[in-house]
Amino acid sequence: MQGFLLGLSNGLVCVAYCAPVLVPYMLGEGRGVSQNISLTAQFLSGRLLGYLVFGVIAWGINKTILEALGCRELIIGGAYIVLSVSLIIYSFFNVRTSCAAEHINRYFNKVKVLSPSLLPVIMGFATGLNFCPPFLLAVTNAAALDGLLQSLLFFFMFFLGTSLFFIPVPLIGMLRGFSALNTIGKIAAGLIGIYYFYSGIFLIFGGIKKI
Amino acid sequence: MTNKTKGVEFPTPVSLKKTLLLALPMMLFTFMMLSAGKMPTDTNKIISLAVTFIFVNTIFFLMLYREKTDKYRAILFISYAVCFVISFISNLIEIRGSMAISQENLLLCKTPFCHIVIPMTIIPLALSKTIIFPGTMIGSFASIASMLIIWIGASLALGRGFCGWVCFFGGLDDGFSRIFRKPMIKHINPKWHYLPFAVLLVTALTSAMLLTPTYCEWLCPYKTVTEYVEVTSIKILIQTIIFVALFLGLVIILPMLTKKRTQCGLFCPFGAFQSFTNKINPFEIRINQVTCVKCKQCIRICPVFSITEETLNTGKTRFTCIKCGKCVDACPKGAICFHVKGTPLTGNADTFRLLFLYPAFLFLVTMAGSNIQDAIIRIIRLITTGSMF
Repeated sequence: MQGFLLGLSNGLVCVAYCAPVLVPYMLGEGRGVSQNISLTAQFLSGRLLGYLVFGVIAWGINKTILEALGCRELIIGGAYIVLSVSLIIYSFFNVRTSCAAEHINRYFNKVKVLSPSLLPVIMGFATGLNFCPPFLLAVTNAAALDGLLQSLLFFFMFFLGTSLFFIPVPLIGMLRGFSALNTIGKIAAGLIGIYYFYSGIFLIFGGIKKI
Repeated sequence: MTNKTKGVEFPTPVSLKKTLLLALPMMLFTFMMLSAGKMPTDTNKIISLAVTFIFVNTIFFLMLYREKTDKYRAILFISYAVCFVISFISNLIEIRGSMAISQENLLLCKTPFCHIVIPMTIIPLALSKTIIFPGTMIGSFASIASMLIIWIGASLALGRGFCGWVCFFGGLDDGFSRIFRKPMIKHINPKWHYLPFAVLLVTALTSAMLLTPTYCEWLCPYKTVTEYVEVTSIKILIQTIIFVALFLGLVIILPMLTKKRTQCGLFCPFGAFQSFTNKINPFEIRINQVTCVKCKQCIRICPVFSITEETLNTGKTRFTCIKCGKCVDACPKGAICFHVKGTPLTGNADTFRLLFLYPAFLFLVTMAGSNIQDAIIRIIRLITTGSMF
């Protein structure tokens, strides 16, 4: 219950952290509200996976993850790079017209056809590993727990609490009548990708220095 | 003030008397505004007041007399931007001793507020009840409250005309876009027209995420000619390199090559945000379908890509129009005019133009007047004493 309440009290900040990734993607896809609900669910399932993985890691290294700053920065940096690559590929290579990166585009589209929900799940997973302020709070609280199951349950409840704030997000689909928003969303996804790429590189370099 | 020949409207010369009469209210307004209600005693200030007063009123008089809007607006708008840079940098050096803002000044919230930050402050304000910009609310140079009041007033009166008449940066790329006679880059993929909206989306969302004005931190090209954060780390060095590169690319090189205001039309998030105020503003630019011969001159010369073949066929501009009047001046058939929404298209073009010109010019002088005066004083000082301070 503590995890759920913590999630409820910090959910707005969670949305603020996830919106720069999720909103441009949704606009770029230009889907309706009902399709956006499943897209949000895919994103959230990726995020849940990220939380649970982190719960296991936190438990596995005996609650010392907060002290191991270099390790922490490497994990977030790596997650940022994965996220940025996904966004940049989505933005610049997921095009129907021929371009110089045609083979990458073809490969990316093939991946997308094979597993259409893969991209939002990856994005959700990578943002799930993000050390945003509410997540740090959750980690601190989870550190006080003993067993793996308890730790996982805490993160799951925290996830549920924060996820309630994502309910209005699919309403972006109401804007799908404006075709220009697809282009705006895709360009914005690329720009966000560049930002995360920069952040990821810096974090990784910082982490390597500390190790 | 129009002749009708076979359904085509041509402007006829305005009489000198009538022009003087129309310009008289602006003379009174500008005198009150520039003098701030009292005559200065310092010689330099008297000279700068006189020069500025004559300059702005000559511009307004010519706008009315010659019936050209952009031709004269551009002279004042570009002078305003140049004088703003001279005045702003001089002020910074006088007060701080440097163009660079120190971390101490940032923490003390001594950063002058700029209208470009406005769209980035809204979501964080709603989420955290705080204004994320490190400026002061009232009482100081370029305070947040004073800038917000000017912005609200100008948005109601002019809509995105703000970018064509009020913005103190716009004159820079406008000026560079007029250097060459012909553009060297003629075609820009229309997809790029959406870039300002993407930049707006990204900066608004990331500002909400990080609770800092990310555009100012990372993307503002005008930092190059105003103020920048002291370079004390690799991160700030990268930011500074980005500012300079964007300034060179978007404010100098691309405007020269394309003859467009590329920073305003292809990048500025405030411009994108301000476009929405065109929806609530009574003024617009309309194209008379009857008289238009589809020569596409307006498409070629529009500085912010607001006229396209599609909009030409609908008789309207895109909602990104900055109401600079360039297309109105350039149309060989007089088919483009200022218009008040909800009124008939034909018959009142001159009245509509006048109705727009008064508030637009008044805002321009309100913003430009003090900067031009200050720049003149500093130039006089430089000539007479060898120092601007």
